[in-house]
Amino acid sequence: MSTVQGAAPRRGRSLPFKLPARSGLQEYTLVGVVLLLLIVGAILEPDAFLTSDNMLNVLRQASVVGVIAIGMTFVIATSGIDLSVGSMAAAASVAGGQLADSGSLMFVLGALGMGVLLGGINAGAIAYGKVVPFIATLAMFTMARGLGLWMSDKQPVSIFDLEFVRWFGNGEVLGIPSAAVVFLAVTALAWVLLNRTPYGRYVVAVGGNREAARIAGVNVRRIVFSVYVISGLCVGIAAILLSGRLASASPIVGNLYELDAIAAVVIGGTALAGGRASIVGTFLGVITFALIFNLLTLMDLATEIQQVTKGLIILAAVLIQRRER
Amino acid sequence: MSTATPILSVRGLVKHYPGAKALDGVDFDVQAGEVHCLLGPNGAGKSTLIKCVSGAVEPTSGQVLVDGEPLPTGTPSASLAHGVATIYQELDLVEDLRVYDSIFLGHEPRKLGGLLDRAQMKRRTRELLERLDHANIPVDARVGQLRPAAQQVVSIARALSHDVRLLIMDEPSAILDDNEVETLFGVVRRLKADGVGVVYISHRLDEVARIGDRVSVLSDGRTVATGLPADTPPDVLVEKMVGRKVEQLFPDRATASGGGADGAAAAPALELRGLARAPEVKPTSFAVAPGEVLGIGGLVGAGRTELLRLIYGLDKPDAGEVHVHGQRLKPANPRAAIRTGLGMAPEDRKSQGLLLDWSLARNVTLADLPRFAPRGGVLSINGERQAAAEQLRALKTVPDDADRIVRELSGGNQQKVVLARWLLRECKVLLLDEPTRGVDVGAKAEIYGVIANLAKAGLAVVVVSSEMPELIGLCTRILVMREGEIVAEVAGDEATELELLRHAVAPTDTAPVLEETA
Repeated sequence: MSTVQGAAPRRGRSLPFKLPARSGLQEYTLVGVVLLLLIVGAILEPDAFLTSDNMLNVLRQASVVGVIAIGMTFVIATSGIDLSVGSMAAAASVAGGQLADSGSLMFVLGALGMGVLLGGINAGAIAYGKVVPFIATLAMFTMARGLGLWMSDKQPVSIFDLEFVRWFGNGEVLGIPSAAVVFLAVTALAWVLLNRTPYGRYVVAVGGNREAARIAGVNVRRIVFSVYVISGLCVGIAAILLSGRLASASPIVGNLYELDAIAAVVIGGTALAGGRASIVGTFLGVITFALIFNLLTLMDLATEIQQVTKGLIILAAVLIQRRER
Repeated sequence: MSTATPILSVRGLVKHYPGAKALDGVDFDVQAGEVHCLLGPNGAGKSTLIKCVSGAVEPTSGQVLVDGEPLPTGTPSASLAHGVATIYQELDLVEDLRVYDSIFLGHEPRKLGGLLDRAQMKRRTRELLERLDHANIPVDARVGQLRPAAQQVVSIARALSHDVRLLIMDEPSAILDDNEVETLFGVVRRLKADGVGVVYISHRLDEVARIGDRVSVLSDGRTVATGLPADTPPDVLVEKMVGRKVEQLFPDRATASGGGADGAAAAPALELRGLARAPEVKPTSFAVAPGEVLGIGGLVGAGRTELLRLIYGLDKPDAGEVHVHGQRLKPANPRAAIRTGLGMAPEDRKSQGLLLDWSLARNVTLADLPRFAPRGGVLSINGERQAAAEQLRALKTVPDDADRIVRELSGGNQQKVVLARWLLRECKVLLLDEPTRGVDVGAKAEIYGVIANLAKAGLAVVVVSSEMPELIGLCTRILVMREGEIVAEVAGDEATELELLRHAVAPTDTAPVLEETA
């Protein structure tokens, strides 16, 4: 109905402030959800929930999936998907562990390198081999898991001696967990990249209308390639945070991270069909899930109830998005 | 010819779409056992008319009578129940289904317990094919294995399985070679003998006399001639097709020398040397001077859009070169084309030109983003918005609020957003594919003004259009394409619609080209 003439009524005109874009609505909604969760939590668990210790704990726990979800946002913005992030995180952790004898720096390089390498394989298959993202990353989902188990001989490697890597798991910067600092920094960088650079604009353009982007001169293939590399890089970073927290490099970590990350991106308002992406939304989506998880744990509710709750939230969020469109 | 109640009678049919009148008073009728040909240039409203009769589209006003009784409009099932069936230009058969499954798709005969009655399906399929004189088509074959002509027979058989009394055929010969057309005509004659009324739509004038009994001509959504005898001379029919008034839409014509008045033999802005991509585009060469508006006319499917895509590098050429201001373009690389100064407004704005959910500003700047991120690669959102707004205002876009979403704009204003993108980019050669499709008359005139001004400023503009008055009113020179090649060049101030159309339609004495090889 609003496609007819230039003078079509504009949504949101009656609001006292100007909405930056349609995804902005989602972000405001999510801020409300987070506030609501904080209030509900404070009422249900007055002693334990709204303490600074617990809140920092929430941030720390959110940071691993959070960093992965930020990378996933770029992928989904191009209307792609990356199902391999959990397995790649394990492979990246193991790759770092293989180099653990050479010190923390080599661990970090190993983990990042493996993330970028595996992400690059996804990227090549999808951008140049024209494999559907779902299939290409499904293949990587199983390959990366196998690779991790194979390289490690199915055994976790203790990295207890790698002080620097462990600092990412339990260190602090000005009282804030270092993992959370990394998560916040990655989020801030990603926000600038997506919203304030030509590159970010191209990413969303490719997801919104591939042919129109191509006709406007966007190098579609290179953009598609790049987002899977970014996803792999973020996985590498997440693998370092995770290994640091566990003080080990393990081939069995990262199960279902892909689903957690995708869920956070989706409830954050990034359209699975592409063309609309929000880093702030993803951040808030990650925080929302972390708060709920934390609250339910404090209330001693079993994990199966947590799983049901999570599913309900995803469904509700997507239903709300549909109504907004 | 009005002895019996006609099978189909269309009275004062009108269909308005937002911003455009597709049908504006259509009258014609079809008798039992008659083949009634329907002619009209692209965009005359033929498809809309068919859709109104087949129930796919609800007319704004007017009547469709079948056997003298009004047909409920907008319900395809009602049309079918009244014995009206349509065979569309693109065959809508499922290639993996067998012939008998295709024919009974959706109304399969059942056995007790709801199981498919294969035996009955096969038997009735054989009967139908026999009736069409095509018993040689194996009923067990998969549709995809059949040649196009045979597929079309299956389509017709499917229509007949519905007890059809009026068959609408939309350019059925377009995908057939000469022998196959003869086969098709045989089928049509059989239907005629069975008392079925046929509406036969075609671009080929020669077919009217060969298969038709009467002919009606549609132009600009109106029947300009209805129920003429089929032996009406083709020239008379062509005149009817183009006989509409050309409104005062056009600015002063651009002249080739306009941009390069100082040097008569100005170097061409765009030059094609043998550019080709089989089978749509045969080797093509031409040059466009700065300041010139070159039109490319022809019928839909003549290869015009494909040619533009080749020039711009969206498709890979088999052979040939494109030069822009003396510089050879890297083939199949739109980015290189843009860097050298090319810009393009594609045929389908919505699916190829624009990001509909993006703001005007973002759509305008997409092809020129690095300009707004000079230092450190960070975009100046304000600079972007201001530059976009400036271009949008210059083109009188309504609204020119750069934050608005493109989806909310009318067709003409959306086209201005695409133009603004290339103005911002300061391109030197602009390729416009159907620049005024879906644009209302007022905005059309504005877009013509913009094109003329760009040419005056020294740009070379190539316009592909199916609207001949547009080409004649706007262009310095007009090339006419037919079946993938340029068959004529006409000076804009000498061109007439009659002449262009004569070049565009296959002459009656030559065989239509094979579109499909076995």
